[in-house]
Amino acid sequence: MGPSPRDQLSKIETTCESLLYELQMIWNEVGESDAERDKMLLELEQECLEVYRRKVDLANRSRAYLRQAIADVEAELAAICSAMGERPVHLKQSNQNATSLKEELMAINPQLEEMRKRKSARLKQFLQIMEQIRKISSEIHPNGQALPRIVVDESDLSTRKIEEFQRQLEALQTEKDDRLKQVLEHLNTLNALCTVLGVDFKRTVIEVHPSLGEAEGSKIVSNDVIERLASIIHKLRDVKVQRMNKLQDIATTLLELWNLMDTPIEEQQLFQNATSNVAASEHEITEPNSLSADFINFMEAEVLRLEKLKGCKMKELVLKKAAQLEVMRQNTHLVTQGNCELEIAIEAIEAGAIDPSLILEQIEAQISGIKEEAFGRKEILERVEKWMAACEEEAWLEEYNRDENRYSAGRGAHLVLKRAEKARATVQRIPGIVEALCCKVIAWEKERGTEFTYDGVRLLSMLEEYAFVRQEKELEKKRQRDQKKLQSQLIVQQEALFGSKPSPSKPQSAKKLPRTSTGGASRRLSLGAAALQPTKPDLLCSTKTTKRANECTSVSPAKKDLDAGIPVKKLSFNSTNANAFQSDHRKPFAPLTPTNNLPLTTQLIHNIVSEEQNKTPKATPIATPKTPGTVSTPMKMANTPAPCSVAYEEEANIVTKAIEEYSFEERRLAFYLRRQQEDLHFT
Amino acid sequence: MSGAPPSGSGRELANPPTDGISNLRFSNHSDHLLVSSWDKSVRLYDASANVLKGEFMHGGPVLDCCFHDDSSGFSASADFTVRRYVFSSGKEDILGRHVAPVRCVEYSYAAGQVVTGSWDKTLKCWDPGGANGPEHTLVGTYPQPERVYSLSLVGHRLVVATAGRHVNVYDLRNMSQPEQRRESSLKCQTKCVRCYPNGTGFALSSVEGRVAMEFFDLSEASQSKKYGYLLNLFQAVAVLTLYGTFATGGCDGYVNVWDGNHKKRLYQYSKYPSSIAALSFSKDGRLLAVASSYTFEEGDIPHEQDAIYLRNINEVEVRPKPKAIHAAAPL
Repeated sequence: MGPSPRDQLSKIETTCESLLYELQMIWNEVGESDAERDKMLLELEQECLEVYRRKVDLANRSRAYLRQAIADVEAELAAICSAMGERPVHLKQSNQNATSLKEELMAINPQLEEMRKRKSARLKQFLQIMEQIRKISSEIHPNGQALPRIVVDESDLSTRKIEEFQRQLEALQTEKDDRLKQVLEHLNTLNALCTVLGVDFKRTVIEVHPSLGEAEGSKIVSNDVIERLASIIHKLRDVKVQRMNKLQDIATTLLELWNLMDTPIEEQQLFQNATSNVAASEHEITEPNSLSADFINFMEAEVLRLEKLKGCKMKELVLKKAAQLEVMRQNTHLVTQGNCELEIAIEAIEAGAIDPSLILEQIEAQISGIKEEAFGRKEILERVEKWMAACEEEAWLEEYNRDENRYSAGRGAHLVLKRAEKARATVQRIPGIVEALCCKVIAWEKERGTEFTYDGVRLLSMLEEYAFVRQEKELEKKRQRDQKKLQSQLIVQQEALFGSKPSPSKPQSAKKLPRTSTGGASRRLSLGAAALQPTKPDLLCSTKTTKRANECTSVSPAKKDLDAGIPVKKLSFNSTNANAFQSDHRKPFAPLTPTNNLPLTTQLIHNIVSEEQNKTPKATPIATPKTPGTVSTPMKMANTPAPCSVAYEEEANIVTKAIEEYSFEERRLAFYLRRQQEDLHFT
Repeated sequence: MSGAPPSGSGRELANPPTDGISNLRFSNHSDHLLVSSWDKSVRLYDASANVLKGEFMHGGPVLDCCFHDDSSGFSASADFTVRRYVFSSGKEDILGRHVAPVRCVEYSYAAGQVVTGSWDKTLKCWDPGGANGPEHTLVGTYPQPERVYSLSLVGHRLVVATAGRHVNVYDLRNMSQPEQRRESSLKCQTKCVRCYPNGTGFALSSVEGRVAMEFFDLSEASQSKKYGYLLNLFQAVAVLTLYGTFATGGCDGYVNVWDGNHKKRLYQYSKYPSSIAALSFSKDGRLLAVASSYTFEEGDIPHEQDAIYLRNINEVEVRPKPKAIHAAAPL
């Protein structure tokens, strides 16, 4: 409608007037009384007043409401501002502007609105922060006072407060971060430990807290968790150390066993990772599963296996070592009677009574002992070797000298000759070698206060014996030389006198004499027994025997008065010698017997020689002259001839070896006779 | 070649044998000295007068000799005979024979017999007082294990040393078997044996030069007293003096006197030109006859002339010196 309210108002006023007119008209018509008319008009006026009043009230009310609203707004604003910690700046401003209420309100409302917005934003902020705080707190202290609802103190929404909260949040954040770092660290450590120990990491951490098992996602960082992690880590670290020690022990044992049993390299390399860590410290061992239970079991199993093997091999080892010991003993010539104890030991090992390693230890100890001794004995043993080598050469030389063909020019003859030459030189040196050796041994014995044994015998005794034997040999050689001389003399004699070798009759006579002498001897003996009271018949008997004995010695019938066994030669010999022996001072009383003597002498000496030759095969060799000081116990025998003769023959056999010995007088006699022959030859 | 020996050796006997001297003995009754030699002779000297009183010949070298009494003696020869001599009359005859050279002869006053040992491995006892002729004199023949090298008498005891180092001890009253059969305690060939005048034992010498003192008593205590010494080089010839000490001589030409009990040498006489072949003390101990004569220990080599020296003996040279603390052991 186009008309404005003013317009309307004017209309209304017009209308009112019209209406009044009209009313007046009506009344007029109706012919109302003026009292009535006035009453109605009063009523009308009153009613109109009422309406006016109502409208005014309304307007008042509205105005009040507005005022209220403004006040409210202002109050709210103030509240908000105070809450937000800002000054309500604008308030008085509007009053001074004297703007209408509505204007005021209109002005204020947006402010309020703004503030409200701001407040709510702030509130939101707060809420956010507090939510965050809550969250973090709950992460940190899951069982702590959990704020069921975030209650924001709306009275304080100031920035200060929020900053406070911010700070709190930050602090919490930091704490959380720290804890998280810690946890992560722990987890890392744990992870490392678990890999080394072959433990399932995930399972372990989940045990601590399920959240830890997640690769992503937030992790609980509560004290509890951290402590538990720490304790698990500690525990696992202990386990690691334990296992490491165990492993190192096992590895050491393995090394020992390998060494003992000469295990091949390939086998050893299987355990490289363990044996290489033998001396590592705890933090150096990082390889996965290098300390896992399985691995350790594996190693232990290997050790067990090896030990079993060792047990089986122990006997072999003991024997091997024992053999080693034996060889060493032999090399140093320290052979003793320790062998039986070894056998006993081995039996005991087999029976399980003794720990083989004990025996092994003992043997090892003995071996090292022998090594030490060997060192001290080395020099003397070397000298002994030299001595023995020299003796061998000597023996070879003797053999060589006996060899008839030694000068034959065969292959390698010159080498042999050279060797003989060398050998002779060596033989010359032998006394010196022995002498020096003796000195060394004596010094050695003095120094150590014990005997030097060689294969169980005292070396000095050996050397003494050797020297003694050598001396004997020298004497022996001398005797043989002399004997040879005698023999050759006899041959020369025979040849000189008789011109030919008396070979056929020699053996005969030689054989005869021994028989005769033995027989004659026993006869003489029996006679001797009876000769306690010499009677003529006895004497006669003895004489006859003697004569017979004498006669028996002669072989050829032609020589009655000759006792020699050699025929023709004897005769001439005899006659010439008879003169030689007849002295100018011979008294008439003396019977002519000297003629017999010289031939007999020669014969006898010769016979002595051949006797020895014949008897030697039958000889019961007597030992080399006994050491001085022994006296053969006198045999208390019965006074009967028989035992005597037995004894005599026994003695004859026993002393066969002594037949080779000659006194100086006997030798001189031989020379004497030889000279005689020579003189005769030239006459 | 033969230089004069130092005057300390004593005076030389005139007319010594012309070849090696095998033995010499003083008589028990005078200063008569009987010498046997390889020149086949047996000579009788008056030592103090230095005069040759008689000479007897054998058929071969004479190896030993001994007195019977002052007027008679015996000899053993390589011609197998044992001869008897009566010096006053110059008579001699053959007492008996062996079948090999006779090496030693001794006369036993206790038994009144002559004992001879031979290389025919027998010992023979002879009765010199028996009827003449060798057929009647042999008392007995006793076989030995080996050739006899030496024998010695004391009282009724006879000690025989043979080759092979056997030593037999006999009681002359019972010759059927040896009282003891022993072995020399020395390693080497026995040279000679001499009984101690007190009859407790004998000294054995070996060619090596050692002398062992042995005892008849076989009990342990006595045997422990045995000992041997190395005295002279080769061929120690031992002779026992009145005092129980003994003298030895060897191839080195020295004569030594020893105290056997104390094992000490009492005296050494100056060196003789040749080996000492024999020694003998006169009955009163004033004279010592030394035969300086090569003994063929080195075979047939040129050697000094054979000579006999007579020394006057000082008691001090042969008497054992008393031990300072202990009483001298009885010899």
